[in-house]
Amino acid sequence: MSKIKKAFENGKAFIPFITCGDPNLDITEELVYAMEEAGADLIELGIPFSDPTAEGSVIQAASLRALNGGVTTDKIFEMIKRIRKNSGIPLAIMTYANVVFSYNTEKFIKTMGEMGVDALILPDVPFEEKEEFSLVCEKYDVDFISLIAPTSNERVEKVAREAKGFVYCVSSLGVTGTRTDISNDIGSSVEMIRNKSNLPCAIGFGISTPEQAKKMASLSDGVIVGSAIVKLCGEYGEECVPIVKDFVMEMKEAIRTV
Amino acid sequence: MKIKICGLYREEDIEYVNIAMPDFIGFIIDFPKSHRSITPQLAKKLKSKLNPKIKTVGVFVNAPYEYIAQICKENIIDMVQLHGSEDDEYIKMLKEITDKEIIKAFVVKDDFDPKQAEHSLADYILLDGGMGSGKSFSYEKIKDIRRPFFLAGGLSPENIEESTSLIKPFSIDMSSGVETDKVKDFKKIISAVKQVHRRENNMKKGRFGVHGGQYIPETLMNAVLELEAAYEYYKNDDGFQKELTELLNEYAGRPSRLYFAKKMTKDLGGAKIYLKREDLNHTGAHKINNVLGQVLLAKKMGKTRVIAETGAGQHGVATATAAALFGMECEIFMGKEDTERQALNVYKMRLLGSKVHEVTSGTATLKDAVSETMREWTKRIHDTHYVLGSVMGPHPFPIIVRDFQAVISKEIKEQCLEKEGRLPDAVIACVGGGSNAIGAFYNFIEDEDVRLIGCEAAGRGIDTFETAATISTGSLGIFHGMKSYFCQDEYGQIAPVYSISAGLDYPGVGPEHAYLNDIKRAEYVPVTDEESVIAFEYLSKMEGIIPAIESAHALSYAMKLAPTLSKDKIIVVNLSGRGDKDCAAIARYRGEDIDE
Repeated sequence: MSKIKKAFENGKAFIPFITCGDPNLDITEELVYAMEEAGADLIELGIPFSDPTAEGSVIQAASLRALNGGVTTDKIFEMIKRIRKNSGIPLAIMTYANVVFSYNTEKFIKTMGEMGVDALILPDVPFEEKEEFSLVCEKYDVDFISLIAPTSNERVEKVAREAKGFVYCVSSLGVTGTRTDISNDIGSSVEMIRNKSNLPCAIGFGISTPEQAKKMASLSDGVIVGSAIVKLCGEYGEECVPIVKDFVMEMKEAIRTV
Repeated sequence: MKIKICGLYREEDIEYVNIAMPDFIGFIIDFPKSHRSITPQLAKKLKSKLNPKIKTVGVFVNAPYEYIAQICKENIIDMVQLHGSEDDEYIKMLKEITDKEIIKAFVVKDDFDPKQAEHSLADYILLDGGMGSGKSFSYEKIKDIRRPFFLAGGLSPENIEESTSLIKPFSIDMSSGVETDKVKDFKKIISAVKQVHRRENNMKKGRFGVHGGQYIPETLMNAVLELEAAYEYYKNDDGFQKELTELLNEYAGRPSRLYFAKKMTKDLGGAKIYLKREDLNHTGAHKINNVLGQVLLAKKMGKTRVIAETGAGQHGVATATAAALFGMECEIFMGKEDTERQALNVYKMRLLGSKVHEVTSGTATLKDAVSETMREWTKRIHDTHYVLGSVMGPHPFPIIVRDFQAVISKEIKEQCLEKEGRLPDAVIACVGGGSNAIGAFYNFIEDEDVRLIGCEAAGRGIDTFETAATISTGSLGIFHGMKSYFCQDEYGQIAPVYSISAGLDYPGVGPEHAYLNDIKRAEYVPVTDEESVIAFEYLSKMEGIIPAIESAHALSYAMKLAPTLSKDKIIVVNLSGRGDKDCAAIARYRGEDIDE
């Protein structure tokens, strides 16, 4: 069984995202340990893609830096194997369909299962196309994560019904990246999901401050924060580990008791 | 939809269907009134030569059911079709002694009762326009039937599309429609089966074989579903089509000419060369065909704002033009590198009232412009339509853009028949995403004798990294909403591509082209920068026509092909755009610096 459920057992879950290989894979590995210590419940490891169409400028730039630094899917898998020797924290891989497909979908997901990665998130694979990946995921005990957007409306029901692990609720329109204003509309989507599924719901996209995290956590079971952390990695480079650690700690504190 | 070829009685017929691979074939067993009737012994012999993937249907007319059961028992047939006056009682008895599926045929005449067909105990029903007479019937009578049915009577490769546009049979059934002089005709069988299979592929969520699909974020799913529904509606709406035709004719200047390039033909000394003059359209390229269709559709959908990507700027200018005409807000995304290469087009778009965004991400070229426009669409959906410029992206874009561009091949066909009394031997077009090429190919796909040749931009050569020839050098992948061929590395990272032509400078190709390549219906050849520049200069001097550098890729291949063909052959080159925009760049390529 995947360990996703465990991630939602310590109060509201805090789920950070980092781009693997930005600034390098040694730092990425250190970041995982540091964030686990700081209270992260599930960590999303981003495998960079050359043309990430669902990302805003921060993660686009990080992806490019990582790829220019020579990161590949195989090198990231080696790093995850090292992590798994030291840590049992729930892990998810977030990347794009082509990264999985070109590696060979079966081989990619089988490797994930063997390494003990718990979930796969592909933002460019909607409900209509998911079977190509989700059927393989079932075979290797990896949860294929479904996303719900503010535009999903009547689609929420069917997406939620077949979801696995947790439901990823996209907070607002647009791509990833920090926003000053996130509406509360997502609350009604979460309610709709809860009517159809017992899975936890985590809200992501645009959350960067403890206040925003608190607000989103009050509407759901956890929050996902990507760009705000990736931005720190970009700013501080190899010095980013303690800074990210403090940030994660502050965010987890803010939502723990919501 | 499936297809059944009925009334096989010769060994050749079996060879034909083994190649064509329909879903079902039918033997008419012991019904001497039909010239296609055969004995169970012959049926057994023919079945032994048939590809086992094809299901065999035995057709009987009021035969004793014990007799049918015996033939079922010997596995000569996989399904039973009852074509006489057999009633439910009969079917009940037959079902008791065989477990083969039963098809009951109903002749749709004046006394046809849809309720009886609807409630028949048979597994399937077959609706026939008249005892194998080949007459079609009024669809009014059967439009309310809800259960799956075979449709027969009067169907031929020429009318499949028309006959099944309003009703959706489980399978069509053809016999005399695929015969010539009362014997099965190989070409007709192939054409019918291919049409059905192709349609089937298209209907699977916009798939073309394995290609196509909808690989996009959930945020955009409802937008593309809404678009699909609107398009399905307006495509069959006479008012919409009339309005569009009027715009194409009165505003864009269609039909474009099919010009006989007499000097060029003589000079090359081989096949006759015709140029389809898309360069004479308003805004100077084929792009306007698609844009007028999509912007009109967006208007009908209540959208007030359009956004679009552009490479060389042709699609951007066309979109800005249509937006001006329809009074819509318009924003164009263009790679920074391209805004510098095509400064004049940037000015034109602004002049037409559009906002132009320079895209600096990635390689700052066409692929990044597409990515950025997709991102913009996820930010603002409710009032915005994304006018995709090529036969690419998520379903339904490849189909919508293809349908709007198909006017090119429709006209070529009519014009060629008028001028030459026959179809061309080859149609040649350049392929980036592939919209002008699919437009030039589409109405010839069923005409197997017409060679379809797509010319990809090889840049500095397909053995270098500076190329954009996707089919020659790429591999299967998933990007920009579709599965297709892409230039990419072993880890699926999209490769930077290069071509002298900004319009062909794209790392992917439309899914329908990928499919036409797979099934070998179209050929795709690489043409280098140098070859296309030579063709650019050649046409200018030879015919007094300056072609777009994109179109010059197709011309270049025509120059190679024509001399190898005899003088009675006909080649049509789709001259997709005019070359004014390229003059400065070509001059630079030749070492001459000029100001635009």
